[in-house]
Amino acid sequence: MSINQHLNPRAWPVRIVLGVVVVALLALGAHTVWSDRSDAARAVPQSTAMESALGIRFSRVAVVGDGGLVTLFYVVLDAEKANTFQSDLKHPPVLTSEARDGSTRRVSIMRPGHGLRPGSTAYLVYENTAGALRPNELVTISYGGMTLQHVPVL
Amino acid sequence: MRLTTARRSRAIGAVAVAALAIGAGALATRQGAVAATSEGLLCEANAQQTFSLTAGKGFVSTPDGNTILTWSYGMSTRGFQLPGPTLCVESGKDVTVILHNDLPEATSIIFPGQTGVKADGNPAQPEFDTGGSLTSLVHPAAAAGGSVTYTFTAGKPGTYLYSSGTDVRKQQQMGLYGALVVRPAGHAGQVNDRADSAFNPSHEYVFLLSEVDPEVHLAVERGEPVDWAAYNARYFMINGRSMPDTLAPNHASWLPNQPYGALVHIRPYDAATNPLPAVIRYVNAGTVNYPFHPHGSDERVVNKDGRALQGTSGQDVGYLKYDIDVKPGQTVDALMDWRDVEHWDPVTNPVPTQLPVITDQLLVGPDTWFSESPYLGKKGELPSNITSLNECGEYYHVAHSHALQQATNYGAAFGGMMTVFRIDPPSGCPAN
Repeated sequence: MSINQHLNPRAWPVRIVLGVVVVALLALGAHTVWSDRSDAARAVPQSTAMESALGIRFSRVAVVGDGGLVTLFYVVLDAEKANTFQSDLKHPPVLTSEARDGSTRRVSIMRPGHGLRPGSTAYLVYENTAGALRPNELVTISYGGMTLQHVPVL
Repeated sequence: MRLTTARRSRAIGAVAVAALAIGAGALATRQGAVAATSEGLLCEANAQQTFSLTAGKGFVSTPDGNTILTWSYGMSTRGFQLPGPTLCVESGKDVTVILHNDLPEATSIIFPGQTGVKADGNPAQPEFDTGGSLTSLVHPAAAAGGSVTYTFTAGKPGTYLYSSGTDVRKQQQMGLYGALVVRPAGHAGQVNDRADSAFNPSHEYVFLLSEVDPEVHLAVERGEPVDWAAYNARYFMINGRSMPDTLAPNHASWLPNQPYGALVHIRPYDAATNPLPAVIRYVNAGTVNYPFHPHGSDERVVNKDGRALQGTSGQDVGYLKYDIDVKPGQTVDALMDWRDVEHWDPVTNPVPTQLPVITDQLLVGPDTWFSESPYLGKKGELPSNITSLNECGEYYHVAHSHALQQATNYGAAFGGMMTVFRIDPPSGCPAN
């Protein structure tokens, strides 16, 4: 390639367009990877220790109420243990953001008040204190000295 | 191949635009995923007032972990959803609804409250078999691939139920229903032709109330006969969701076939900055009365079954109601605002009594929706066991069916036909 060709002004628009195309394709690729990661991250991790101790398996954390509330769902594995967990009104699980200095432990009303059946799903509704939790991020669920990390927030 | 300079420039431009579109699309999709649709009415509307619906089947989930086969109408371009899409049209203009049927049996749509409805160009009327038994309230679309076109001129402004007119008990129970909103011509921001029915278009809600007996759905799924003598509704829904899924945003990713939320989110009435109320359009697609009860504020009923509540001389006969009793097949349009009537203030006008422990403050153990302060927009002191209060001192008022068995999920309280009305301080909530 000669100097003249390198500096050829007619070649610049082509290079600019190629650059734009490369950036766009990179953005698309990053988006695809990001989406894949996001989808992969939606699988809620499991803790055999927590499941054995509490009789439940956490299944979903979601921001609702236009950002002001959070729902925490869990599947009942052992009804007796789960009822004990459910009845522990003074010590609800703490949801701590892994993205910022924020958490919530403030359970609102509508706690299911009936006996829990194995295989059924129950839930708690939290206030999302100061917007601590946000969609597409991760939280740690803490209860009774045990933790479940990297739970995706929907 | 050689291009002229002009052609090359155009080609370069086209490639650049395409590349930017790809990149922008990727970013926009990402942004959309972060900022999920919030709440409020999602209208299906177009200038031709023509809608293509497909009756099909899909699964919906309930908060207790159940998954239920359901039939419903969906936009033909998008697919299944429960309930059917909310169709928004203008009074006095022609409406066309094309129904495609993917179900294994004939189905149809009836439009109660609309007159002059035609099916495939003929007056819509009941059909009978050779023995004289009713087969459908209107001409249906044949099973597995049939279609029928309904046309009518949109009637009086208000809200209507549309639903199956074929094997009605079963097909409505299976989920073949949706809401039709007829807007007054030239006054889309009013419930009816009366100026005093004006509402804030940013705060418009449909509450389509329904019930599910999962045994009926299971029988249909298995191809078994339905035992109607044993009918027992176990799930009660607003817009195809039960509490707490009612609090989730429209199009929540974990409810792919149940796109409509039921959260009401408003600010207090203010003559200067927030003068117009919200409107809640109640529709009963079930078999029994649903006495819907919003805590914390009356609602003003202004329309029933698409008819304005006014006297013979045009006087307003709307009324305030603390319990909106919606009967099967009925629609009730109610205006709702939240007013700071007494102007309580912790400094200038404190509440002159020890606050009682009322339902909204303390219902189950130490749980509460409140901010430890009875004053909107204020936060009280932190209790010793928590780290922070709610976002901005906002209120959350429960709203639910007051037939409390309907506020359950398969008998477990609380759940079912229940949601919350969120009231932010007058200045708004910084987190939103």
